[in-house]
Amino acid sequence: MRKIKKYWSDRSNGKDSDELMNQNHNLYKQPLPPVKPAHSEQLRKPLPAEKYRRALALCLSLLASGMTIADDNAQALTLHYFGTAGLSYVTSGQADFVRDLSQPNGAKGGQWSYQLDSLAGAQANFQINDQLEIVAQAVSRHRYDDTYLPELTWAFAKYSPRPDVDLRGGRLGTDFYMRADSRLVGYSYLTVRPSIDYYGGLPFQYFDGLDGAVTVPVGGGLLRTKVFGGYSPEKIPLENSNPWDLGGSSLLGGSLDYQLNSWQFRLGYFQLGYQRDLPGSFTALMTALRRIPLGGQTADAIAVGGTTSRHYSAGIVYDEGPLQVQLMVSGVKHDSVFFQDSVSGYLLTGYRVGDVTPYAGLSWSRSSPATLSSTGVPALDAAVVSTIGRTGSNQHTYTLGLRWDFHSGMDAKIQWDAIRGAPESTFLYRWEQPGWTGQTHVLSAVVDFAF
Amino acid sequence: MLKTLLGLLFFLMMAWGGIVQADLVLIANAAIAENTISREEAINIYMGRLRRFPSGGAAQPLDLPPGGAEKALFYRLLVNKDLSDIDAYWARLVFSGRAAPPRTVGSLAEAIERVAKEPHVIAYIDRTLVDKRVKIILELPSKGAH
Repeated sequence: MRKIKKYWSDRSNGKDSDELMNQNHNLYKQPLPPVKPAHSEQLRKPLPAEKYRRALALCLSLLASGMTIADDNAQALTLHYFGTAGLSYVTSGQADFVRDLSQPNGAKGGQWSYQLDSLAGAQANFQINDQLEIVAQAVSRHRYDDTYLPELTWAFAKYSPRPDVDLRGGRLGTDFYMRADSRLVGYSYLTVRPSIDYYGGLPFQYFDGLDGAVTVPVGGGLLRTKVFGGYSPEKIPLENSNPWDLGGSSLLGGSLDYQLNSWQFRLGYFQLGYQRDLPGSFTALMTALRRIPLGGQTADAIAVGGTTSRHYSAGIVYDEGPLQVQLMVSGVKHDSVFFQDSVSGYLLTGYRVGDVTPYAGLSWSRSSPATLSSTGVPALDAAVVSTIGRTGSNQHTYTLGLRWDFHSGMDAKIQWDAIRGAPESTFLYRWEQPGWTGQTHVLSAVVDFAF
Repeated sequence: MLKTLLGLLFFLMMAWGGIVQADLVLIANAAIAENTISREEAINIYMGRLRRFPSGGAAQPLDLPPGGAEKALFYRLLVNKDLSDIDAYWARLVFSGRAAPPRTVGSLAEAIERVAKEPHVIAYIDRTLVDKRVKIILELPSKGAH
C-alpha cells in the first residue's frame, strides 16, 4: 500500500498547524528546521543502540538455548530465530532513505545507517495435535516510534481440519502482495531488502483478524485461494506530529495462487478502510479549509478517515534449478485524493553459481496527483497542492547484488541500488529538504540468519 | 606428497562413486492404498504445499539429517535445488506461519522404522535398504547413475 506519510506540516503551512502540533515530546516529531540536515543526526540520538544490542544479545542467547529444543524430535514446541545485521551507505541526497514508511527516519546522503535492515525475530510454534497449532512471533526492528521495542508480529491459532484447508485467527502477517508476509526475513529472499519501489509504501506488517485458505489440484498444478479480513492495530510515523493511529481501520482481501511446476502465478486484492484522519498538520489543513465557503468540497476530497484504498496486484515467479525470475506489479486506487493513485512493480532475476547468486533488478513507482478546484484562497490552494505532493512518487531503481550462502541457515549479501527519480518523488522517503533531486545511490551489506 | 595426492584422488573417486551410485527411492508403509504417487505429488508433500496422498489422507514427510549425502541428493533429484535454497524456502514458509519443514530423523534406519510403523509417513532412502514392511511409491533415478 502506498500511503501514509508526512504531508506537509514542516513547509506548506506550518502556521495553521502550530496549534495542533504541540506534541513535540519526541525529538523526531519536532518541526523540520528550514534547511539544515543535521536534523536526522539529532533524531538518532535517542536511538537506543544500547537497547538494540541488548535485544540482539538476548536473541542470540535464546538461539543458543533453542537449538537443543529444536533438536528434540518430539517437536511439540519448536523455536525459530531469524535476523539481519546490515549496514547501508547513501551516497547523496537531501532526504532520509528508509526501508519502508514504518520507519520514522533513515540515512541521508553521505550517511551510514544500520537501522534500515538490522532486526531480530524469534518465533515459537506449538503443535497441539495434527489439526491445531499455535504460533507466536516477536520482532525487534527500527519501528515507528524510533525505538527497537519488540513487537508481536504474529500470534495465531491455526486449525487445519483437512490437509487442504487452513483457518487462522489472531494476529496475522499481511499477505497483501506476493511474499509480503515474509518481508522481515532477509534469509528468505534474494536481495538485501524487498524492493522499496514495490513494498516501501506498504508500512503494514500485521493485522488482527482471520484468514482461510483452500488448496485444490487443478490442471496438474495447485490452486490456492485465500481470503482474509480484520483490523489494523498499527501506527504509522509522521514527521511532525504523533504517529497516525490506524487502530480500527478495516482490512479485507484475498488472493489466488497457482503453482505449476517451476511457475507460480498470483492475483491479489485488498482494501483498507481508514478509521480516522491523519493527526497534526493534516487535520489543521482540514479545519482551515472548512472555515471558508469553497473549502468544504476540497476538505471532503482530501479527507482520509472513512475512505478506502484498493490495491490490485499480480505476480509471476519462475524458479527452476539455479535460475529465479520474479515479476510483480500493483496498482492502487484511493478514495481520498490526498493519496495519489499509483502503479509500481519490479523485475528481479538471479542465477546461482555454487554458493554465490548474483542478481539484478529493476523496479519502479509512479503516481499521479489529482487536480482540485480552487478554494479561492491562494495560500490554501498551495497548501493543498503541497499536501497532495507529499504522496507523489516518480522513480525507478536499478539493483545489482550478490548473495553468498556461506553457511547453513546464513547468508551474506552486498547490493548497489541506483535510484533515478524526479525531485517531486518524495513519498517513499522521509524528511526531504530543499535540494532533494530524487536521485541517489545506496550501497548495502548484510548478514542474514534463520534457524 | 604423491601418495597424498593419490590418496586424495582415490577418496574423490570413492566419494563420486558414492554419489552417482546412490539410488534413492521414496517409500511408504506397505499397507497404504497408493502404490505410486507422481513426482508433483511428492514435491507438494515435501515442499509443504499440499500434504496429502492422492486418496485424500494426510501425508507426513520425513527428512534425513542435513550432514548426510542423501538429503542433498534427494532435493537435487526432486526439485533441482541446493540445500541452502531449500532452507531459504522454508524460512519463508515457517516465518509466515504457513507450513513446517519435514521432520528430521536421526538416521536411515530410523526413517524406515517410522514408515514401517506409521501409515501416513513417507521417507526417502537408498533402494538397497527397502524391506517388505514398506513399498516404493516413487523412483528417483540419478541422472548420472550407471
